[in-house]
Amino acid sequence: MIVGKAQGRQTLAEVKFSEVTQALASAGVWIDVGAAVVRTTGDSESFAAQLQAVYAEFPFVGQAQWADLHVQIRKPHNVRRWFRPQVMFRCDGRQPFEPFPADSPLPLFEWGCNALIGRRLNDLLLLHAGVVERDGLALLLPALPGSGKSTLTAALSHRGWRLLSDEFGAFDPVSGTFRAVLKPIALKNQSIGVIRRFAPQAAFGPEFPKTRRGTVAHLAAPRDAVARRHESARPGAVVLPKWMAGSPTRFEPLTENVIFPALAFNAFNYGLLGAVGFQSVVRLVRQCPAWQLVYSDLDDALATIEAVWPHVMERQGATSK
Amino acid sequence: MLVEAMGHLWVAFSPGTGETALLNDESASILELLEGGAGTTLSISAVLAEDSGLSSASLAEAVEACWPRLIEAGLVREQRTGHVTSR
Repeated sequence: MIVGKAQGRQTLAEVKFSEVTQALASAGVWIDVGAAVVRTTGDSESFAAQLQAVYAEFPFVGQAQWADLHVQIRKPHNVRRWFRPQVMFRCDGRQPFEPFPADSPLPLFEWGCNALIGRRLNDLLLLHAGVVERDGLALLLPALPGSGKSTLTAALSHRGWRLLSDEFGAFDPVSGTFRAVLKPIALKNQSIGVIRRFAPQAAFGPEFPKTRRGTVAHLAAPRDAVARRHESARPGAVVLPKWMAGSPTRFEPLTENVIFPALAFNAFNYGLLGAVGFQSVVRLVRQCPAWQLVYSDLDDALATIEAVWPHVMERQGATSK
Repeated sequence: MLVEAMGHLWVAFSPGTGETALLNDESASILELLEGGAGTTLSISAVLAEDSGLSSASLAEAVEACWPRLIEAGLVREQRTGHVTSR
């Protein structure tokens, strides 16, 4: 693999802004998120700045031999550059999604890449879940939007748990492990302030008000998570989070018949994988103890998970690292 | 057909249709019997009655109630002869 000027040593945060804009305008910036590599080009200076903010700890790579996605973030050259300017997402020469407002290239990039990753990485079972790791074991947080999954994943990733992904529980059926799809965590509305208060040192990109899901801000992946994004994790446990305003923390075990559909029927590509998907979910359900976590207090929720973790380690035969 | 116990239910996957469904005990036992060949409500309830000691009539009612769910889930199909097979 040929890497850019930085030879993979400098991060996106460390290189000059002009180097990022130049790379985006020419061969592109290659972002290796673990299980996939995204190559992006673009002509928007605001995109360069936003990319640099939320992929700050990733190596700056200006040339490589392989990318799973080839993305362009471009301003249109028609009259829309004057009237309510927009930014377009193109991949492999096609425009699969509608344009976003010109000041929101990052949400378009993130949303578009996630959608394409969910369609393309079919060597992996892509569960819709946050994943963090400790002691070599993955803690899977599958949930529907609005459940507090991203908030909990973000909080754990700033309290000693390694972030693998906020969006994809990327399970490799061959190795039986989870792989990282390490992208910024898209926090919405009140969750942004919650995590800013919870982890004041956390690095955020800009806030984007008035998106389809309200205000969105992207939380950059921590340095350790980026450095270790090629380390996989064995299945450990499943926690189904549910944020409920004012609720005391409740932590209740779930039966297999509840956890199976929660994993399988919310996965991006379960149906496509056929018997492999079925057998993978059965394997995960058999292997992982599962709980429902209802919470409103983040510290209390984390303490609850911490309390049960030694039992998970014992069951999975893991040792503290 | 792949069938696995899942808590107090069963989960079945049909490689033919790619469909997955959670099933109760009655539906899972019907699927197992259909793996041996086509069947009808009467033939299946007769086998189940023999195994369980319950009356064939009451089991026929239960079997009949399972068909819509199994057909809808894409796990079985009804033949023109009135027999049902797994998919």
